[in-house]
Amino acid sequence: MKLQTRYNYVNLVTTVIVLLITGLVYYQAISWILTWQKDKDLKDEEQEIFQYVSLNHQLPQTFETNDQQISFAAAAPGSVRREFINTVYFKKWDQGEGRHRRHHGKGGEYEPGRGLVTSVGVGDQYYKVLIVESEVETEDLIRLIFTITIGVILFLLLVLLLINRLVLRRLWRPFYGIMGELRSFNIADNREVTKVDTSTDEFRELNVVVTNMAQKAKHDYKDLKAFTENASHELLTPIAVINSKLDTLIQTGNLNEKQSGLLNDLYSAVSRLNRLNQSLLLLVKIENRLLHEQKPINLKELVEETITQLEEIFNDKSLTVSCSLEEKQITGSRYLAEILVSNLVNNAVRHNYRGGEIVITLTAGSLVVKNTGEDWPLDAERIFTRFHKSSGSEGSGLGLTISKQICNNFGFSLDYSFRDAYHTFTIGFDGVATPD
Amino acid sequence: MKILIIEDEEGLRESIEEYFTDDNNICETAKTYTAALSKINLYRYDCILLDITLPGGSGMDILKVLKENNYPDGVLIISAKNSLDDRIDGLNLGADDYLVKPFHLSELKARVSAIIRRKTFNGSNQLIFNELAIDLLAKEVKVGQNQVKLTRKEYALLLYFIANKGKVVSKNAIAEHLWGDGIDLADNFDFIYSHIKNVRKKLVEGGCRDYIQAAYGMGYKFSDQ
Repeated sequence: MKLQTRYNYVNLVTTVIVLLITGLVYYQAISWILTWQKDKDLKDEEQEIFQYVSLNHQLPQTFETNDQQISFAAAAPGSVRREFINTVYFKKWDQGEGRHRRHHGKGGEYEPGRGLVTSVGVGDQYYKVLIVESEVETEDLIRLIFTITIGVILFLLLVLLLINRLVLRRLWRPFYGIMGELRSFNIADNREVTKVDTSTDEFRELNVVVTNMAQKAKHDYKDLKAFTENASHELLTPIAVINSKLDTLIQTGNLNEKQSGLLNDLYSAVSRLNRLNQSLLLLVKIENRLLHEQKPINLKELVEETITQLEEIFNDKSLTVSCSLEEKQITGSRYLAEILVSNLVNNAVRHNYRGGEIVITLTAGSLVVKNTGEDWPLDAERIFTRFHKSSGSEGSGLGLTISKQICNNFGFSLDYSFRDAYHTFTIGFDGVATPD
Repeated sequence: MKILIIEDEEGLRESIEEYFTDDNNICETAKTYTAALSKINLYRYDCILLDITLPGGSGMDILKVLKENNYPDGVLIISAKNSLDDRIDGLNLGADDYLVKPFHLSELKARVSAIIRRKTFNGSNQLIFNELAIDLLAKEVKVGQNQVKLTRKEYALLLYFIANKGKVVSKNAIAEHLWGDGIDLADNFDFIYSHIKNVRKKLVEGGCRDYIQAAYGMGYKFSDQ
């Protein structure tokens, strides 16, 4: 649930409850005041009767005024207790009015009324007095007040909803801006997280925190990369010394078979170390986008050159290489393109068996390198991660990572699939994997 | 042949000096920027091996001095800075070649030989080794009057051997020279063997002496002794 919706929901429920309670209290207060008013009228009337009786020593004539009825009844002395009662008021209709009210044959109707029961003595005669006033106007008033209250509630709700919708969206805009920044945040990217312009303290604070965090993350990442680069770089000189010393050592002559065996092992270890180191350096460079050269590259020629370069190796392993190459031009660093193609072809050789097959297809949309090899598919999730190697591989475990990075750099996709006993690597030039 | 080695790393400097000092070569060395600068201002060399990162300054500045004074010395940059920009900068400044550390001494020797050859013969030349005559422009190999047909790689291999004559060249160095650094042949060096066998066979069939000898199972030596 969105914060705004949740907030609206809570807001709505509370508003309705509070307004209902207010309405109720309002109703009670108003009806109490009006009843009090009515009772005062009734008391005035009672007072008038008492005055009349004490002046004239007889009961006043029963008469009916607007919404007021007075009736007298003889009663046993002391049997009447003075009290206010809620009762009914029988209202007679005027002449013209009756016609419209066909359902009643009584010539009038009952309305809610407020009455005062009291007593008066005339001479030695004791009378019960009942004064009733119609409460219909009071009720009307209350109803009106209630309607207005409900109207106000509805209007208020509408206004609140509108405000929420318009103002909240505007208020939260910086938040969504920050969210967008975070979403597009890439640790390897050089782009800084842009500050969202806002005058709201909370968002400004959030913004500062997010920006600082991003900066710190980037800084740490840069440090780490710099470390990798420096470490690899520092390794170059000792490797160079070992290499040159080995080259010098084999000139000394008179090496026996055991010594030369050991030297051979040393040579291959150093050359592996060197390749590994070069790969790490290259990775850092690609990630840092240091190889940003933009040149047109004829990919067809490049693939052909690579194949010619490796011809002896194909022959040595009795590999059948079949190519179907269309003209394709790409733009970027030639150095990287060479590495990409040679990595994929080298992989196809390395993981092949004697007498196996390599199929290279270049079309306008993709470059596909297929090779025979082991009978089971590779773990497509993991082959592109650093130092993931199939068992027995003599590679650095960085070849495919580098290839993937180069593809990212070029805006290409690189995907692996296993089909009909062929391990297939597909470079999609439009960045989307093309089904073959 | 006079060669100046400007390199601050002692182990590397010594190895290079030892590898290059023989038959007709004279090697001098410089460890620092200032030492190198005074040497190049005093003497002329056939080839200067120039490290970029030096105590006291950059090898690039030495290269600039050389070019500003129009000194004809050949320059080969040897650097750990394997960045494309560096390479291009160096070559733009007038270096003849660029080699990235780590390298095989045989590779270095081959590159230096190529530079000196270009300098000495102004680019059009014949390389003669006893009865072998190589036309470097036409890339043709002749034994006396017999032409020996070599593939591109076999030809490159022969040049590599001649540049390193009298030295044992490791199989790794050969593989990397012919197929690039990326090549990983740890599991199979056999095809180098068959490759070299082909070259030997072609040369011998052409009437040449068999100069290529296997050395202790780890490499080969091209020698007329």
